Amino acid sequence: MQSMQATLGTPTSSALSRFSTSTQDKSSTAGQTSSTGPQPSRPSIIPPPSKSKGWGTGASGGRMRRIIAEDPEWSLAIVPLLTELCIQHIVGNFQNNPILKQLLPEHKQKVLDHLSPDLPLAVTANLIDDESYWRRCCTQRWPVCHVAKHGGSWKRMFFERHLENLLRHFIPSTTDPALILELLPLCRNYVRRLRVDQFLPPMKLPPRPRSGELSESGSEAEVEEPATDHYQLGDLVAGLSHLEELDLVYGVKDCGMNFEWNLFLFTYRDCHSLAATIKACHTLKIFRLTRSKVDDDKARVLIRSLLDHPALEELDLSHNLVGDRGARAAAKLLSHSRLRVLNLANNQVRALGAQSLAHALAHNTNLISLNLRLNCIEDEGGQALAHALQTNRCLTTLHLGGNELSEPTATLLSQVLAVNTTLTSINLSCNHIGLDGGKQLLEGMSDNRTLLEFDLRLSDVAQESEYLIGQALCANREAARQRAPNPSCFLSPITAKGPENPAG
Amino acid sequence: MGMQAGAATLENSTEVPQKTKNRTTLRPSNCTTRHLSTGYREALGEYLDGKKESEEDQSKSYKQKEESRLKLAKLLLCGTELVTNIQVAADIREIHRRVEEGEIRRQRLEKLENEVKTSQDKFDEITMKWEEGKRKRIPQDLWDMLNTQQVHCAGLIEDKNKLISELQQELKTKDDQYVKDLKKQSDDICLLLERMEEQVKNVMKTFRQELNSIEKAFEAERRELLTSNKKKWERALQAHNAKELEYLLSRIKKVEDYEKQLNKQRVWDCEEYNTIKIKLEQDVQILEQQLQQMKATYQLNQEKLEYNFQVLKKRDEESVVIKSQQKRKISRLHDILNNLRSKYTRQIRQFEEENQSLTSDYIRLVTQFKELQKAMRHFALLDDKRFREIWLMNEEEAKDLISKAFDVDRIIHTQHLGLPWTAPDFWFLRNVGPISQQQQRSATQILEEVLIQTEEEGMEEATSETESYLDLPKQVSMKTTRKILMLLCDESGFLIESKLLNLLRPLEKSECYLLKLDAIFSALGIESEDDLYKLVNFFLKYRVHHSPSSQERTSPMSALDPGEQTDLERQKEGSLVGGEPEEKEVPPSPTLIHPNDVLKILEAFVMGLRKPRDPPAPVKVVKYVRDTSKDSAYWEALATVLPYATQNLWDALYTALEKYHLVLTQRAKLLIENNSLEKQNTELQMLLQQYLDSKINSELHVPPTQVLRAPTK
Repeated sequence: MQSMQATLGTPTSSALSRFSTSTQDKSSTAGQTSSTGPQPSRPSIIPPPSKSKGWGTGASGGRMRRIIAEDPEWSLAIVPLLTELCIQHIVGNFQNNPILKQLLPEHKQKVLDHLSPDLPLAVTANLIDDESYWRRCCTQRWPVCHVAKHGGSWKRMFFERHLENLLRHFIPSTTDPALILELLPLCRNYVRRLRVDQFLPPMKLPPRPRSGELSESGSEAEVEEPATDHYQLGDLVAGLSHLEELDLVYGVKDCGMNFEWNLFLFTYRDCHSLAATIKACHTLKIFRLTRSKVDDDKARVLIRSLLDHPALEELDLSHNLVGDRGARAAAKLLSHSRLRVLNLANNQVRALGAQSLAHALAHNTNLISLNLRLNCIEDEGGQALAHALQTNRCLTTLHLGGNELSEPTATLLSQVLAVNTTLTSINLSCNHIGLDGGKQLLEGMSDNRTLLEFDLRLSDVAQESEYLIGQALCANREAARQRAPNPSCFLSPITAKGPENPAG
Repeated sequence: MGMQAGAATLENSTEVPQKTKNRTTLRPSNCTTRHLSTGYREALGEYLDGKKESEEDQSKSYKQKEESRLKLAKLLLCGTELVTNIQVAADIREIHRRVEEGEIRRQRLEKLENEVKTSQDKFDEITMKWEEGKRKRIPQDLWDMLNTQQVHCAGLIEDKNKLISELQQELKTKDDQYVKDLKKQSDDICLLLERMEEQVKNVMKTFRQELNSIEKAFEAERRELLTSNKKKWERALQAHNAKELEYLLSRIKKVEDYEKQLNKQRVWDCEEYNTIKIKLEQDVQILEQQLQQMKATYQLNQEKLEYNFQVLKKRDEESVVIKSQQKRKISRLHDILNNLRSKYTRQIRQFEEENQSLTSDYIRLVTQFKELQKAMRHFALLDDKRFREIWLMNEEEAKDLISKAFDVDRIIHTQHLGLPWTAPDFWFLRNVGPISQQQQRSATQILEEVLIQTEEEGMEEATSETESYLDLPKQVSMKTTRKILMLLCDESGFLIESKLLNLLRPLEKSECYLLKLDAIFSALGIESEDDLYKLVNFFLKYRVHHSPSSQERTSPMSALDPGEQTDLERQKEGSLVGGEPEEKEVPPSPTLIHPNDVLKILEAFVMGLRKPRDPPAPVKVVKYVRDTSKDSAYWEALATVLPYATQNLWDALYTALEKYHLVLTQRAKLLIENNSLEKQNTELQMLLQQYLDSKINSELHVPPTQVLRAPTK
């Protein structure tokens, strides 16, 4: 943390400079490609020194002929073929005259191999589909590339990351919005996911020096609300026809000691525009809005816009300020959409919200995963959820870690365990289950054959019962492995947890 | 700080069981990572997958694999737990912090509220005092009061300031805590990273180890397999080699054999070839000779043919001439032919006319002949009759005489001689009519007769019964017979040969019938007259049998034999009556016999006839030739019916009788006298009677008659 803070003292300026340099690089390299580009890639075919030498000696005179004969490197094969020359020329003038589709496949491949990754996107975006070219582009720009996270497509990865990069460093009322909209026609067919982990507020020097009081700064921010709006995604998202995943964080990353509350403002206007954006985007499957101070009202605005969405499958509002009313809205969403994953971790959902969620869950047939980590639903909410699970036949993963649960919930859950055959993973860590509760859960586990994971860490359960539960889980895992003879199943629960963010 | 310590201890306490669980495979410093690169994992998974599929049945490797899998699963699980432990610890720390924070906030709020209340009270008090001060008129009082007010206000402000400073102090500590928290979090993240890295390393290492061990297991297994397979292979190879050797030897032997055979064959073939060659050469020579001969003959033939050709040419010319001549001739001949044809037709017409006239002549002659025949027959009949009548007359005469003689003889014998007389019995005495041999006529003859007769009957419409000289159809009339025969002829045409039918066609109806019946009879085996009558009777009998109504009536004549027996009697009668055949009963109409029954009857008849078949006597009778040989004898016998002894007797007797006659004559004279006397007597008596019977007698009382009668009686 400390090192990061040191390196990224001024995020905005550095980002700006980097962007400008990158564009400059492109323009400069574009001119040089003809001379430098192809040479390092194929030294075996056309060694430039020998070639120049050969031609030079051949042209100079008869005396040199003897030397030519003795020259062991000289041969006719060194003379490049006409096709080679043509390809070289095509590569050299690709920016002005892109010729690719008309070429024979082998020539096309050669051209693609020699193209510079710094060519302007306007030329290459819709012309080149070759993965190896885009791979070179990606590896040149970013040292770490997880192509698997982008559907295995280098081109998609390039455009997604490029667009994310632009959005990350977009400063409203300073940066030209046309910069992004220009890119839109180039990347609209390739971008399926937008994962923006920071939105910068407008650049402005606060007219007043910062007062010492926190409450005042908060009130100030509310007053100057219009000034702190972030980039409006509406136009961009409407242009991306294949967008499926939207992962947003309305906040500033790596602010370190420059922390200010108004860096993390998710304004009402932002909220409304975002709601309109996601409502208009019918291809959206995953929507994540985390660490953005989404309170009940904003959550309700967003969720209302998501009601009866045709494609939405996952909603993640973790690390926000969603309370009972927001939870009730989410419960309504459960029954009005095909939501499969709901994540409300680290919010302020209490017993009431949990009860409304439980009510929706009791008859839901879509939801697979529910995460209520670090809320405060307490026993009332926990019992309501346990009751709901007795009738639910769909939920497989339930996270109730850090919810002040105690023995009564454990009692009900043990009954659920005996009955339910769909749950595969339950997390009850950081609760006050107690010794008796642990025993009851152990009893419930003895009748269960489907549960694969059951986290009871730091929940005052006796080590003995925890160990026995672990044994039962092991047996269940073996049984599941036998049923589905795929050895990766013992890895799958771990991968499912993969993208989860650590508590921060 | 206390919270952090608690979290740390907690973490430690959670780590302990992990370590105990990890046992020997996991060292206590093991840290796992969650961010195990997915690609690596997939590769591993695929690797395991492939291994599993291919080598599942190999126990050793499978065991090793299972072991490794379990170990790795445990390792991964424990590693993830270790890593997530940090998160869980942070969670619980956060919860604790929240609880504490809540508590502190609540206290702070309470404190602030209290403060507000007290300061409000104070403020109220101060403001009250302001009111109070306004009422004060005395400046000193006012000054005092102002001073006190000032003191109060200062106190209030001081209180507030204190509060503010307290809060600021708190804020500062919070700031410190924030920094500390940041530090702590960065530490945590560092720890997390460290653990992750270690976990990655560890997992990599263990995976590699396991991979190695699995590979080793596979290697070992492979080696075993290799050795075993190699052994097997060597064994198989050896066997194969041995076999190969065997085959080779046998092959060599075979090759030698074949070579020998080949050589033999070759030699033989050579010889044969030579002989054939010689023969063929000879043949060639012969053929050449023949060819030359043929050539010579060919030349010869050619010349000949040329010559012939010339000749033929000439001949052709000649033949053309001849042809023209012939043509002319043909036309001439055609004319002649036409003439002849017309002549021929004319002649045909002529001949037809002639033929017609001749046939008419012929018919006329035939009719004449028939008439002649009829006349002849008639005359023959007449002659016969006359002859018979004469004969009968003579015979009667003779017989009268004979019977007279016999009477005389008898009288002589009985009356004169007093001897018993016996009538001499001679065959000729019984004979009536001309002596004739009753020969059997052939059936055909009868047929002819019948037919002709009936024909005549039909034509003449005369009653044939009286004229019929046929004495044979006794019970059956001619008509019936004829009808039966016609029926037979119609129904049994199959017995006639087809050739005969063709021949018969032009003939007349009656002749046709005759010949047909002849053929039928020959086929049936009917030869004699009797057979024919049998047939007719059979027919009638059949009909009788099949018509029960007429059974009784026909029963007396049903039997043939009695009929024959009665022939003689009837002949006798006939001789007396005059030979008229009588038909006592009219036979029922033969039309009653259905044509369909004819064949059945015939069949039955043939079956019956066959048995009593006599060897056929060759009957060749000359028609109408009377045998006159016996006639003279007959008549002689008739003449000498009285023997000479009796004649002598008679002579002697005659003389004696003459004498007796004289006596008797005298006696007769006397008798006559007597008679005259008697006559006179009677006349006198009559006269007397007359008188007696007169009326005077009745008038008298005593009539003389009474008196007379009494004595007469």
